[in-house]
Amino acid sequence: MTELLVKNACVIDPLNRILMEVMDIPVRDGRIVESVSAGADIIDAKGCLTLPGGIDSHSHVCGTKVNFGRYMSPEDMRAGRTARRGKMHVTSGYYVPTTYGNSYRYSAMGYTTVLEGAMAPLEARHTHEEFTATPHQDMLANTLFDGNWAIMEAVRAKDVKKAAAIVAWTLSAVKGYSIKLTNPGGTEAWGWGEDVSSIHDAVPNFNVTPAEIITTMIEANELLHLPHSVHLHCNNLGKPGNYRTTLETFDLVPDTNNGRQTLYATHVQFHAYGGTTWRDISSKAEEIARAVNAKPQIVMDMGQIMFGRTMTMTADGPMEFNLYCLHHNKWSNHDVELETGSGIIPVLYSKKSLVNCVMWAIGLELALLTKNPFQCLLETDNPNGAPFVKYPEIIGLLMSKRYRDEECATLVDGTEQRTAICALDREMDWNEIAIMTRAGQAKALGIAAEGKGHFSKGAEADIAIYPIRCRDVDPATEYRKVIEAFRKTMYTIKRGRVVAREGDIIVEGANSTFWVNPVVPDDLNVANDPEFVKKFEEYYTVRMGNYPVQDVYLPRGKCIRTKAAL
Amino acid sequence: MRAVLNTGRNISQGIAVEHKGSPAYQAAVSVCHMNPVDLMELGIDEGEHVTLTSRAGSVVLTTRAAESMNRGEVFVPLGPYANHIISAETHATGMPDFKAEPVDVVPTDESVRTVWELMESIGGVRYDH
Amino acid sequence: MIIKDVVCPFCGCLCDDLDVEVDGQKIIKVQNGCTLAEATLTGNNRLPAPIRRTANGWEEISYDDAIRETADILCAADRPLLYGWSSTHGEAQSIGVHIAELIGAVIDNTSVVCHGPSILAIQEVGHPGCTLGQVKNRADVIVYWGCNPTEAHPRHMSRYTTFATGFFVPEAQKDRTVIVVDTRRTESAEIADEFIRIERGGDYEVLSALRAIVRGKGSILPREIAGVAREQLFRVAEICMKAKFGAIFFGLGLTMSNGKYKNVRNAIELTDELNRHTKFTISPLRGHGNVYGSNEVFTWITGYPYAVDFARGIAFYNPGETTAVDILRWGECDAALIVASDPGAHFPHAAAAHLAKIPTILIDPHRTATTPLCRLQIPCTMAGIDAEGTAYRMDGVPIRYKKLIESLYPDDADLLRRIHDRIREVQGA
Repeated sequence: MTELLVKNACVIDPLNRILMEVMDIPVRDGRIVESVSAGADIIDAKGCLTLPGGIDSHSHVCGTKVNFGRYMSPEDMRAGRTARRGKMHVTSGYYVPTTYGNSYRYSAMGYTTVLEGAMAPLEARHTHEEFTATPHQDMLANTLFDGNWAIMEAVRAKDVKKAAAIVAWTLSAVKGYSIKLTNPGGTEAWGWGEDVSSIHDAVPNFNVTPAEIITTMIEANELLHLPHSVHLHCNNLGKPGNYRTTLETFDLVPDTNNGRQTLYATHVQFHAYGGTTWRDISSKAEEIARAVNAKPQIVMDMGQIMFGRTMTMTADGPMEFNLYCLHHNKWSNHDVELETGSGIIPVLYSKKSLVNCVMWAIGLELALLTKNPFQCLLETDNPNGAPFVKYPEIIGLLMSKRYRDEECATLVDGTEQRTAICALDREMDWNEIAIMTRAGQAKALGIAAEGKGHFSKGAEADIAIYPIRCRDVDPATEYRKVIEAFRKTMYTIKRGRVVAREGDIIVEGANSTFWVNPVVPDDLNVANDPEFVKKFEEYYTVRMGNYPVQDVYLPRGKCIRTKAAL
Repeated sequence: MRAVLNTGRNISQGIAVEHKGSPAYQAAVSVCHMNPVDLMELGIDEGEHVTLTSRAGSVVLTTRAAESMNRGEVFVPLGPYANHIISAETHATGMPDFKAEPVDVVPTDESVRTVWELMESIGGVRYDH
Repeated sequence: MIIKDVVCPFCGCLCDDLDVEVDGQKIIKVQNGCTLAEATLTGNNRLPAPIRRTANGWEEISYDDAIRETADILCAADRPLLYGWSSTHGEAQSIGVHIAELIGAVIDNTSVVCHGPSILAIQEVGHPGCTLGQVKNRADVIVYWGCNPTEAHPRHMSRYTTFATGFFVPEAQKDRTVIVVDTRRTESAEIADEFIRIERGGDYEVLSALRAIVRGKGSILPREIAGVAREQLFRVAEICMKAKFGAIFFGLGLTMSNGKYKNVRNAIELTDELNRHTKFTISPLRGHGNVYGSNEVFTWITGYPYAVDFARGIAFYNPGETTAVDILRWGECDAALIVASDPGAHFPHAAAAHLAKIPTILIDPHRTATTPLCRLQIPCTMAGIDAEGTAYRMDGVPIRYKKLIESLYPDDADLLRRIHDRIREVQGA
């Protein structure tokens, strides 16, 4: 039995409506408890801000395309490197760091859980190998279904149950957590060098539309009682005028789940553009936020960009090719048979580019215009908009109008006309930031029930103590102090164990991977469907028996079983 | 005769690759494939021996006629024989010139050495238990 | 007993559809595999026990002694080199990197003498590729450039390309046009619809000529380019531009000949160019079963796919300086650990000779050409035969090797873990 008492913690726990109460947090064997014995280890938080461990609900940190981003970028590996020290392995990289680099930097910022934004089922084993080498965060994998042939056939046949059964088999085979759709239909079209340009375009050879894929998958998701909703990267990412596609997509979404949203729309900044070309691009954040404010069934994340160098990487292969044609920078592409695509290209977001300035403003506008912070979460689509180490600066921008004004003054002329950023006065408070960085994520991902994102009795003792006293600081003017505080915790505690102290990792990690196994009746199990098996063996280049990820890849796997309503 | 040495994998080398001491491996990789006209020019028949000499060293090989070869080019399968005459220079790329080593090809009566003899000639001690 | 869906560990194709018949601790029959698979799986040339070189020959030693001596040698070295890794699983590779980190070693893998230059090219211009099933199901044009799959990857054509039936190419060979580019008329060339025979060293020029044609600048070309008639290149460029899905595979003909990574860069940029007209992908034909896995594992731990030098504490990468052949030919390293590869056979002899001058430890199941050069050899299981573990196919698809038979040998991952722990003990003391 191990016991820990965090004393004098100034706690914000939005899910329990605790706001800046100074209290003690007793921990036994990795969980929050009522009380501990006198022999417990003691950490004195000294009245500093204490939050549930941070949760990133959309970040690219592990798997085939992330590793290819590293592989092709020795210039980035040189941009951030640390030697082996104490319990810390060597790290390399700034915007696509090595797995240990990601893990240590997240830990230093108080993050204890991360959802990998896109895992191709065929390459899931790779993602899980890297999860194990990202030892200080619990991990979850969004599983890609956007170009899945069997799914599209079920959609065409209007067979929701079949679609659900395919999802169930795939998630349990690859140890995935949730359904991810990236440019649904577009990644299959990219198999021929094409794309779809609206949610009503037919996918070549499959005669289904993105809208049909999205609505069927939402229905399937709810039939399977998955903890998370469908997680969508909308069609037409990064194209001027794409806000219409985004709004049309939002209109497809029913409100069918009482516990959480029905659709998680990711990196919406990239999907909120007005105009018709790069010359007349403008912000449509107001329209998007208005829609989200009227639709409790939708949660989005910002997809904030920050100025500087980074790497774009997504399953959206055609989008990356368009970027390549713009930037003429090095370009990688990796289509995955029968499932999805992916692409990678490095970018520089510059304050001298009006387009980039507009993008920067849109992300902030989305957050500031969304009334309920549970509906707009703080992310950069790491590393697409910026590496996650920029989160503290984004917190500063959201909490301080003065900081935004100072930044706006350095942007290229025209930003003010194309966006509303300068007119927005809202300054977010500590509670709202806590929601946008952990409580909201826990609720959206459906892991609050697993003890994440709050300090209820029995919750996992993932605790971040930041070196700042909320009542002594005015974030509107002292935003620098806020940024510094969120960069480095005093303590990051994972399952009751101190893993990071003032930015240094002090133990070997032992994370868990959450995955979902929806139980489906035998007669609907696609593994028993001769047609499904025949097509699998005929068109995949891996035998069906060699496809599932073995348990050995999840040394501390946590399976969430759901019972499908099929 | 001056020629350019090309090296690479082939089936018989691949089959025997985990049996480095075997006669099959030696037979597979101690072969110099060359154009039949080049063989004629050297005045020898297929199966006779040649010494290949490069800037890095020399090695005796058994000739084999191969119509697929261009004149002035010879092919030796990947292995210790080819590597006995490949220079270790990499031009700062890490990769030696495995496919572009200039060599002299001269007929010889000397016999082809075994793999173990080659390894001993660079400081090794044979293990043939 | 027959084991189904066995993964062949020999080459980067990692065919996973073999049926293997096992009788006790012996593999007696291999079905569906190529001749290389059969030779690999049924071969028996294992070293029976750890051996140590002495003044007058060899002696057998215990595993405990061998592990202790290995750790002592590595700890005492100023500039140790850890090399090989492509014929074992990711679990062993991963521990290898951590050993290198502990002792400040250089760690390199066999891609240095294989597709290392392709990696350098990718680091300059990226890599538009795909998984092999994408080619199997869609490609109507296949290009093999500077490679000979018939001999080096015997089932590549039947499983993934020319002779494979795919969803959008049901008639296999009839639906596909095959182009082979080489300096030799290889067996693969015999199968081609179009064989481009180029003069030795002419790859870069021919690639440039094709790029010019695809860009609409063909009129500037001379009548003949590196021995190839201009008309043939016009014809081939048209086949490529009219393809619905084209796939280029390239081999060591590009990486090992003059120009090296610049040849590969040019081929990638030709692919980029073709993507402005239709869909095209390009992929290196990776040699060893799990060589791509060594690149993957090295990359997620260190940031670099090969040639990683920990001497400064941080991970440092500079191919040409931190690559195995260079470190050996300069006589720079003072100890070496070779795992799952045979530099004795596959390195230029001037580099291999240095291994005999320094304490070299070899962890490998077989008697190899490196055996005579080493101080100590420790036999282990062979991944995919008597050990399971992760391997990455040439297209990045991760597959789990099966354990087909039980053996008394230790897994190389376990050996390396013990060496790692022993080093920590020594360092702690």
